[in-house]
Amino acid sequence: MRAADAVSQLRPRLSLRGRLYLFSGAILILFAINVATSLWGSLARNESSLAYQEAATAAQLTAELEQNLQTKRQQVLVLATLRETTDEPLDDVALGQARADLEIIGERLRQLGGYGGQDLEAYYRRLHDSVTALLREWQLFYDRYNSIDPLPDVESALSYSNTQQRLQELDQRQSFVALQRANAIDRTISLTDQITVVGFISSIAITLALVFAMIRSTNASLTRMKRGVERFGSGDLTYRIDEQRDSGEIGDLARTFNEMSTKLQVAIEEMNTARADADSANAAKSMFLANVSHELRTPLNAIIGYSEMLQDELGDGTDIDREQFHHDLSTIIFSGKQLLNLINDILDLSKIETGKMQVSREIFSPAGLLVQVCDALSPLLAQNKNHLSLNIDKNSMRDINSDRGKLQQIVTNLFSNACKFTKEGEITVSASMTAQSLIIAVSDTGIGMTQAQQDRVFDAFTQAEANTGLKYGGTGLGLAIVKEFCAMLGGSISLESEPGKGSIFRVTLPADPASVPASA
Amino acid sequence: MNERLVLLVEDNEVNRDMLVRRLERAGHQVSTAADGDAALRAMRDLQPGVVLMDMNLPIKDGWTACAEAQADTSIAAIPIIALTAHAMEEDKHRALAAGCRDYATKPVDFPDLLAKISAHLDASR
Repeated sequence: MRAADAVSQLRPRLSLRGRLYLFSGAILILFAINVATSLWGSLARNESSLAYQEAATAAQLTAELEQNLQTKRQQVLVLATLRETTDEPLDDVALGQARADLEIIGERLRQLGGYGGQDLEAYYRRLHDSVTALLREWQLFYDRYNSIDPLPDVESALSYSNTQQRLQELDQRQSFVALQRANAIDRTISLTDQITVVGFISSIAITLALVFAMIRSTNASLTRMKRGVERFGSGDLTYRIDEQRDSGEIGDLARTFNEMSTKLQVAIEEMNTARADADSANAAKSMFLANVSHELRTPLNAIIGYSEMLQDELGDGTDIDREQFHHDLSTIIFSGKQLLNLINDILDLSKIETGKMQVSREIFSPAGLLVQVCDALSPLLAQNKNHLSLNIDKNSMRDINSDRGKLQQIVTNLFSNACKFTKEGEITVSASMTAQSLIIAVSDTGIGMTQAQQDRVFDAFTQAEANTGLKYGGTGLGLAIVKEFCAMLGGSISLESEPGKGSIFRVTLPADPASVPASA
Repeated sequence: MNERLVLLVEDNEVNRDMLVRRLERAGHQVSTAADGDAALRAMRDLQPGVVLMDMNLPIKDGWTACAEAQADTSIAAIPIIALTAHAMEEDKHRALAAGCRDYATKPVDFPDLLAKISAHLDASR
């Protein structure tokens, strides 16, 4: 498994809408970062041009101030020389002009104070003091020019050169500060330029990565869905989409699909089961029909064959052996009765299978019934030279509430089976009762059955061997009917047998269904 | 080789007795066997002209006996007519597949059975 898949399994997947929101949000943030960087850059450029403007203005002001000071000093020096040579006073116009000039210089000085900030504060202060002193000196010069008072010593170069020096220092300082500031701003500009470029390129890269991740994850989800639909559609009914790997809309879709799959699977399986049941019921019906056909044909063969033969014998005019004739007619009658028994058995089984067989209960003595059945079947007993032991526990026997007809058929079938499959042997019919049950056992010393034969002996149309019916008589339906009747009367039948040694059939029936819980 | 001999293989006494008498009345020489093994022994010993064989036989059933007769060159040429109460179409196919030359159902249509016997006896002569 790749690392990306492992990571994606650790956290729950975002829904499709969530992915779209996240994607849009990420792109908006990238966009905002780009705009902010760009704004920062243009702000720095503005600041830079402002700084250059300020520096230029300050330099111009300084130059003008220097020029003004120089001009005024020339004028003052010329006037001072004139005063010494002539006594001509200055008129008011000239004085006003001079004062205005001084005002202008003071104004320039104040203007210059507005530039530079803290870095230049000390330099400006010194310049200011110096210029103010110079201006005061010159003011005094003009004030005293028309009076007799001695003029201040304007020719002394000290304060002027001092001022000039201050001015020069300020100028230098201004240049230095401007340069420093320009450098800082240049650095900011190049930084914002870099940030803008890097931001722009990484925005493109991140956007592309997001787009691809989004396409890939959405595509993977849809592929899982598609594979699920294909697998299920091609008959893999147990296939389910891994719904844990997607949340949100696609996860919901996968869950819904899985629920639909489960319902479809159940429906299809039920349908298959129903079809298999119908098929096997159909096969059983066909088998039943084939068996019935076979069973009916066997006695019919004897009936038709002997009848035709007797007809031929009567027709060809030879003498008739009356004894033989009688025997042949008996065979026809026996086969006819066998056929009737068979039809009755088939009708009984059919009634049982369609649920139409009724149980009609009455109070009667089972001991009496047993004696009656054994008496009625004594010819059958004699046929194979068998001996009967009737073993009824008279102490425990009492009347029971059951279906007399069905119990009679149960005993008759078991007894005639024992007679058929035993030759010159012992047949024992025993009966006893417990508080709740009647137990009848029919045992013989006949041919017995293997375990495999015992397993099938209660199925309809099954006899121990395929030819048992012809060899020993019987329809192969007797034990099936016995078993069904036992169940209908609320009881059961069991069998013990060994090939060559004989068989014991043991029937247990409730003496009174009212006194026995339904589950018994 | 008893070219006119009919071997009847039938385990049910009543049916065997009836068929033997009817076949003899019709002029056939009849021998009997009551199970599949006895049938194969009788076929080898008596070399009958035709065999009427029930399919539900003890010890060795008719289908097995037919197949074994086919594999035994000494008796493979003897025609076997299946005679059975299994009357469904697939039962006929099953009998023919086991090697029976012909097939007749019970109850027996006797004139038809005689015609089949004669046809096979004439053919094998």
